[in-house]
Amino acid sequence: MIRASVEPWIEEPLRKFVDDADVVLALLLLPSGQVLAQHGFTRAVDIMSACALAAAIQASSSELGRQLEGKPFAGLHHAGKVRQVFLAETQTQRGPYILLTVFDNESSLGLVRLYFDEFRVNLAKAAPPPVASPGVMLNENFERELNRNLAVLFGRA
Amino acid sequence: MSSPFTAVLDALTRQRGVRAGLVVSATDGITIDSNTHFGHDVSRVAALAASLYRKARKSAMAAGLGATGFMQLEAESGRLCLLGGDELVLVVVAARESNIGLIRVEMLRAAETLA
Repeated sequence: MIRASVEPWIEEPLRKFVDDADVVLALLLLPSGQVLAQHGFTRAVDIMSACALAAAIQASSSELGRQLEGKPFAGLHHAGKVRQVFLAETQTQRGPYILLTVFDNESSLGLVRLYFDEFRVNLAKAAPPPVASPGVMLNENFERELNRNLAVLFGRA
Repeated sequence: MSSPFTAVLDALTRQRGVRAGLVVSATDGITIDSNTHFGHDVSRVAALAASLYRKARKSAMAAGLGATGFMQLEAESGRLCLLGGDELVLVVVAARESNIGLIRVEMLRAAETLA
């Protein structure tokens, strides 16, 4: 069974966002690239690639925003011929999270932005208090955490 | 700051009972220009109205009814009027007691100007 999220508190806000915004794919991840929740993916390898790319794009575009405007950009949108990508960061008491979502003509940028604003609020409300400091993310920890999260999402844990 | 749509929206929102007029991108649901008399959340109205219009057009096509013209949604305390094409949707938020005939004529005139 493919699960929607690694941590149960994320499930409801993400499900509501996916339903309301009518998006095809959604990924919630940490800025480090660790996946926390997903919708629409069927293969772990796709999630790994999408998370790595999303984290890198978010880091680059945030820095570009800081260079140009003194603060990170609010979100990034790329329109393809058939599908569109929206990428943005959201804050909770547990720290920042990145949402990557893909939508087609059934939705629109306006709807995605509208429901992303609601998702931000819902996620912040749902977030439990932060756990003890996770410490430095080492390469070996990253790999282990990533594999653990993918195993949970794809029912192998 | 004025846009090519300012005059059209001014004329629409001068009608009695009209609370807001918006020109919205039909595909993106993003507000291009708006004129509101009250504190509407314009981007919210724009995104949802454009979505509604797109879905109504698809429904009409699926039912073999052809292109969609003027569309009106009656709500408890007002009306949402929509008129558009492939690229733009003209949205009017009006009070329940507004003259829908006049609003429709004004919207059709506006659509001609925008075309």
